[in-house]
Amino acid sequence: MDAGVRDVRGVTSPPVWSEGRAILHLDIDAFFASVEQIRNPRLRGRPVIVGTGVIASCSYEARRCGLAAGMSLAQARRLCPDATVLPGHAQTYRCFAEEIFSLAGRLAPSLETYLDEAYLDLTGTGGIHGDFLRAGAWLRMEALRRTGLSVSVGIGSSRMIAKLVTRRVKPDGIGFLPPGAEAAFLEPLAVSEIPGVGSVTGRLFGRLGIRTVRDLRRVPEPALRELLGPGGRDLHARAWGRDTRAVTRREIPGSIRRETSFEAPTIETQILVGMLHYLTERALLAARSLGIAARGVHVFVHYLEGPTQARRVTLEAASSGQERIFRAARTLLAPLLQRRAAVIRLGIELSGFGWSPGEQPSLWTEGGRAERGGASGDAIDLDRSVDRVRRRFGFSALVRGPSLELLERVPRDPYGYVLRTPCLTR
Amino acid sequence: MRWEQLNEVVKVRADFRGGIITPLLVKRGQETVRIREVNTRWIDSQGRHRLCYFSVTTDAGDIYQLRFHGGDMTWTLEYVMFEG
Repeated sequence: MDAGVRDVRGVTSPPVWSEGRAILHLDIDAFFASVEQIRNPRLRGRPVIVGTGVIASCSYEARRCGLAAGMSLAQARRLCPDATVLPGHAQTYRCFAEEIFSLAGRLAPSLETYLDEAYLDLTGTGGIHGDFLRAGAWLRMEALRRTGLSVSVGIGSSRMIAKLVTRRVKPDGIGFLPPGAEAAFLEPLAVSEIPGVGSVTGRLFGRLGIRTVRDLRRVPEPALRELLGPGGRDLHARAWGRDTRAVTRREIPGSIRRETSFEAPTIETQILVGMLHYLTERALLAARSLGIAARGVHVFVHYLEGPTQARRVTLEAASSGQERIFRAARTLLAPLLQRRAAVIRLGIELSGFGWSPGEQPSLWTEGGRAERGGASGDAIDLDRSVDRVRRRFGFSALVRGPSLELLERVPRDPYGYVLRTPCLTR
Repeated sequence: MRWEQLNEVVKVRADFRGGIITPLLVKRGQETVRIREVNTRWIDSQGRHRLCYFSVTTDAGDIYQLRFHGGDMTWTLEYVMFEG
């Protein structure tokens, strides 16, 4: 355990902390693999991998063999031949995560959620909870009782500290760093642990001999700004434990990504175009429900034998219309399919979001048809009607366009075609 | 080990007491299968309707995934877990 972090799992009378700024970070342990283990008790205590092509999640039993997320399945099978490999079911995982996030939402109004982790701002709630640690312990206990999943919790005076504490008490742990201990706690850490130090900055720091937070502190702030731009100032502050980033419910995500792998690799254009149409529909349903429109469209394919290839385009005007975005996506896909190589994974990512232009039609459009949200008025009306039907009767109630080609050929459930890769909105 | 998708409409005897649904017996054609344990449950929605999912272990040790549709009150045997 690092200096200062206090692991309070199993401690009957932990200290009381109820004042000042307090951020709680929660992380669902080995999320997808743990859901598979509780769905199927035969998998408990055994190495489990969830993923197709690469490991999306693996159980702690698998991690003991050296497996980690992002590793290729071929390598994973060599290291851990006994592991059970499952393709995964994103929709089921989402339900479990939402159950846990709804519990967390009872503790404080500011909740920022990701795929398998969340931040919660407990500041000012001391009068309600009495003690932040008790609130964290309650969350872990309720999450386990209601879902069977273990959750690790870290509490600190900032997002960065809370997350670093969680890392140190995982799995199935709870810990905190008392206020005032941040600077001493951070000093010996590897600089790569600080948010904002990615692989590129990490390599740059490596060349400059900056390996620990202690080394980073010796670099004056103006020099860091010179080196890294405006981010240098934030990094300097974080090195001293100052992280004032707020916990906010994200109103506009950075990107919405929908992707899937195929049970059997395919070169069939109809299947690939149909799936791209379906993925576009799923991504745009999420965008329209948030009232946002995208300018960036990014299509990527992963060939059975070969790396992922991607193409992207920035639209002249933001759109949330199926017709407009799918037209762009299909244009991007066409050259990627000229290779005539079997595709194992296909996806679309929308980005560059802004608030959707709304209902006001433009007076000056080609052919005299009103245009809204970057698509023709008729098309947007159709999209909204389809959304309404799907909200009422489920996504599977309507299948349209090229995704009709997938009927009888791709497994379906009440949510539509089964996507094998977790979908991200970040 | 793999989940085999069946999507078979089945009859289920269930306990609804206390607002908690607990499936007890599954009737598949002429065969009645007793449920030994509910492994886990989770809730989703389909349009405006609630879908309740259950992973259960039968007396024979098989693992089923059941779905209860809150709109039309039907039960579906969605998946059965197979070894190998």
